[in-house]
Amino acid sequence: MTTAQAALSGVLVGGLYAMMAFGVSLTWGMLKVINLAHFGLILIGAYLTYQTTTSWDLDPLLTIVVTAPVLFVAGALLQWAYDRLAISELNSLLVSFGLLVIIIQAASIIWTEDFRRMSADVNPYATESVRIGEFIFPTPTLVAFAVAVVLAAVIQLTLRRTFVGRALRAFAEDRTVAAAFGIDHRRLGVLLAGVAGASAAVAGLLWSLSNAITPSTPYEWFGIVFAVVILGGVGNVAGTLIAGVLVGMLSSVASIVWSPAAAPLAVFSAIVVALLVRPHGLLPAGGAR
Amino acid sequence: MRRGLAGIALTVAGLAVFPFVRESLGLTGFYVVILYTIFFWTAQATSWNLLSGYAGYFSFGQGAFVGVGAYTAAVLAGRHDVDYFITIPLAGALSVVLALVVGALAFRLRSLRGEIFALLTLAVPLILASVARLNTTIDGGQGIIVPAPEFPDVLGAFQDFLYLFNLAIAALAVAIAYAIQHSRFGWALIAIRDSEDVAEGLGVPTFRYKMFAIAASGLIGGISGAAFAQQIGFVNVQAVFGLTIPLFVIVMSVLGGRTHWLGPVIGATFIVLVQDRLVVAGLEKWRLIIFGAVLAFVVVAAPEGLQARLRARPAVSLGAFVLLAVGSVPIGVSDELLDAVGVGAVGAAAVALWPVSRRPVSRQPVSLWPVSVDASLQPTASSEPAVHVEPGGVVADSPAAAAPLVECIGLSRSFGGVHALDDLTLTMSEGELVGLVGPNGSGKTTLVNLLSGTMRPTRGRIRIVGDDTAGLAPHRVARSGVARTYQIPRPFPSMTVRDNVAMAIMFGREPRPLAAARLGAQEHLDFVHLTHLADVYPHEINLHERQLLEMARAIASNPRVLLLDEALAGLNPTEIDSAVAVIRRIHQAGITIVIVEHLLRVVNQLATRVVVLDRGHCLADGDPLTVMSEPAVVTAYLGRQPGA
Repeated sequence: MTTAQAALSGVLVGGLYAMMAFGVSLTWGMLKVINLAHFGLILIGAYLTYQTTTSWDLDPLLTIVVTAPVLFVAGALLQWAYDRLAISELNSLLVSFGLLVIIIQAASIIWTEDFRRMSADVNPYATESVRIGEFIFPTPTLVAFAVAVVLAAVIQLTLRRTFVGRALRAFAEDRTVAAAFGIDHRRLGVLLAGVAGASAAVAGLLWSLSNAITPSTPYEWFGIVFAVVILGGVGNVAGTLIAGVLVGMLSSVASIVWSPAAAPLAVFSAIVVALLVRPHGLLPAGGAR
Repeated sequence: MRRGLAGIALTVAGLAVFPFVRESLGLTGFYVVILYTIFFWTAQATSWNLLSGYAGYFSFGQGAFVGVGAYTAAVLAGRHDVDYFITIPLAGALSVVLALVVGALAFRLRSLRGEIFALLTLAVPLILASVARLNTTIDGGQGIIVPAPEFPDVLGAFQDFLYLFNLAIAALAVAIAYAIQHSRFGWALIAIRDSEDVAEGLGVPTFRYKMFAIAASGLIGGISGAAFAQQIGFVNVQAVFGLTIPLFVIVMSVLGGRTHWLGPVIGATFIVLVQDRLVVAGLEKWRLIIFGAVLAFVVVAAPEGLQARLRARPAVSLGAFVLLAVGSVPIGVSDELLDAVGVGAVGAAAVALWPVSRRPVSRQPVSLWPVSVDASLQPTASSEPAVHVEPGGVVADSPAAAAPLVECIGLSRSFGGVHALDDLTLTMSEGELVGLVGPNGSGKTTLVNLLSGTMRPTRGRIRIVGDDTAGLAPHRVARSGVARTYQIPRPFPSMTVRDNVAMAIMFGREPRPLAAARLGAQEHLDFVHLTHLADVYPHEINLHERQLLEMARAIASNPRVLLLDEALAGLNPTEIDSAVAVIRRIHQAGITIVIVEHLLRVVNQLATRVVVLDRGHCLADGDPLTVMSEPAVVTAYLGRQPGA
């Protein structure tokens, strides 16, 4: 594989990272909840996709009809609880870490520690690829990238143009003032967290299309997704997508040029540098925050 | 402090005898294993707690210290035949180096927030794991077998050696944590956790203390990591850099209590014991679910941890422990001693953590304050000859005669394109009480921030008693004799009113140890009439009292210049009068005061000199009455011509 091919594949994989990061970034930026349990929701999304396709013989892309509502409710319930218990930003990190551990352990009790992968007859996408010129792109990552771009655009437009979006931004800026203007933060927060949960369902689906799942997979996502969230600027959807693409590219190129084990080293060194140089994200402040 | 350390030493001595008397007590070798596991986790949780509990900087990176320690021991002893005992100090040293690198990178950031630090530490073990996998001189990801060391036969079997070794490390860790908590260092860390920039403004060198804390954490973590290498016998990336270690230390410290040295000890003992009993009971699958739930529950319901709860309900908890431990035997729940202890511990913890509606600490319901003020302030007010002059009257000290105390030369500060202060030159002399007035946005608060070192000037110089302070860290500016108050009072919420003031004395221009500082605090509380509230916490007192606390804390650091940033905002007229009297008395005590205030009545009453700022420039400067009648000032302030 050439470096150019690696870079382009990395861009596509970056779409998947961004897809995972949207939920974390939005709830952190808008609701001041650093929800590590979001990784657990993605894991559940992936397992549910696997389970529904395997048991009911559904097309994996159709399973979203089942998984998205389930995880919408899960995300909304979590936010309801965080809000009810008035959990601070730093404490949300600890509480949701506890929840993540619970979800992972529950998954390993239900689905065991074995790698689970959808079989080829239910998941035709895994082996398909698209050829453009001299480059080859696997269909799953292409789909993931396209979905991420579309979703980023939809979220961005919703936040910018609609009443709910403006209300959310006002709320993120200053809760007290927003509340004084009649914004019901509880309902909005629950709604946003629900949407974040549904996005976890999409991310889980996209992950399971081309990867095997095991209960400890979320630990692999941790570092990269937070890199994307912070690089993109917390709460900034467009920034998250760009950061996802950059991180994906960096990781892919590093593993081709150097060695696969070097990919995390390159990515995490980049985060550390980025944190030190631009602690508020790559893009100038503003954005959707 | 002596007694506490002696108590720890005695406990350790008692535990050290255990392996030699174990057989005569009829206990199996399994007790040795479970105890040294407790010691190991006690050391790790204590290491985590020094930075993350005391100073409030949460870390997910404990695995990095363990990993560096374990790999140092494993690589040197396993691959280069270095004596294991030589690798131990090296493990500690390397871990300290790592800690200092992380600290130097992270704590240099002025805008670093706790959440970002937490995520940064999440990356550190992942980077190290990656390095270990890549670098074949480490292990290239293959793992290393650690040879058992040669140790004197008196120590008994290998298990007994591990027991004593881990006990020694845990003892060292707990002793360090104890000593830190009972010294100025510990108070500095609490202040950092509560409100870092306020601490810095009081003269606490926060960067240095954070570096000390992370280095101490690294030292314990690394040495204990070297011991961990012996326990697992085979060091690989998954064992040390995974998320198990951070999860366990966090659960243990949070459960036990993050603000006290005893917290991690209790947490580690409890979690190791329960985990072991769960495994024995065949519930191994459930242990992580239980620990995750415990973490979430404790953070929400009992953030102060078991340590505080057990001390609040010692009798009930002990009763629950004894009752369940003894009671579980006859009904067949407990087959052996450890079962009984486990059941008892869970029961005691449940009783201790049982949510109670915390009653607010009762306070004197009757407000004694206005009465005592009237009684005590009238005489002082009438005995103020020099300051109690008619506005505009001749002031006793002529500014020109006194030595310059504060000099601003060509001082500018801009935010983006906005010039908050523009080429301001101003001199203040010893003994003045300068009223700093001006419309909103005229640069008053910026000037206070520049003088106190919270902000750096874009251009220009600041001299305090002849020393150039522009660009110095706030704590050094504080040491040169500048104290400030905040417009919205910012006391340290986890310290009593008295300790808030004592903090300022401990880190003031003449630093004193805690006991002396507490005594000294009394005097300053008397001075502002807060004596009756000395032992309550700041959240229990009202705004006026908090503003007086701000002032008491500011003068406790023994400043030459006191900057009062809208110290009267939001007070009612009676409260303003009493605060004005306090400010007068501070001034009479010989402290130069700069007061930013919107109430011209107050400024005219108090100030010996008024400086009017407008859009970053000095508009007028002189005695209050003259300045206030200048047309330019009236225009700037009221926006119209007099009489128009």
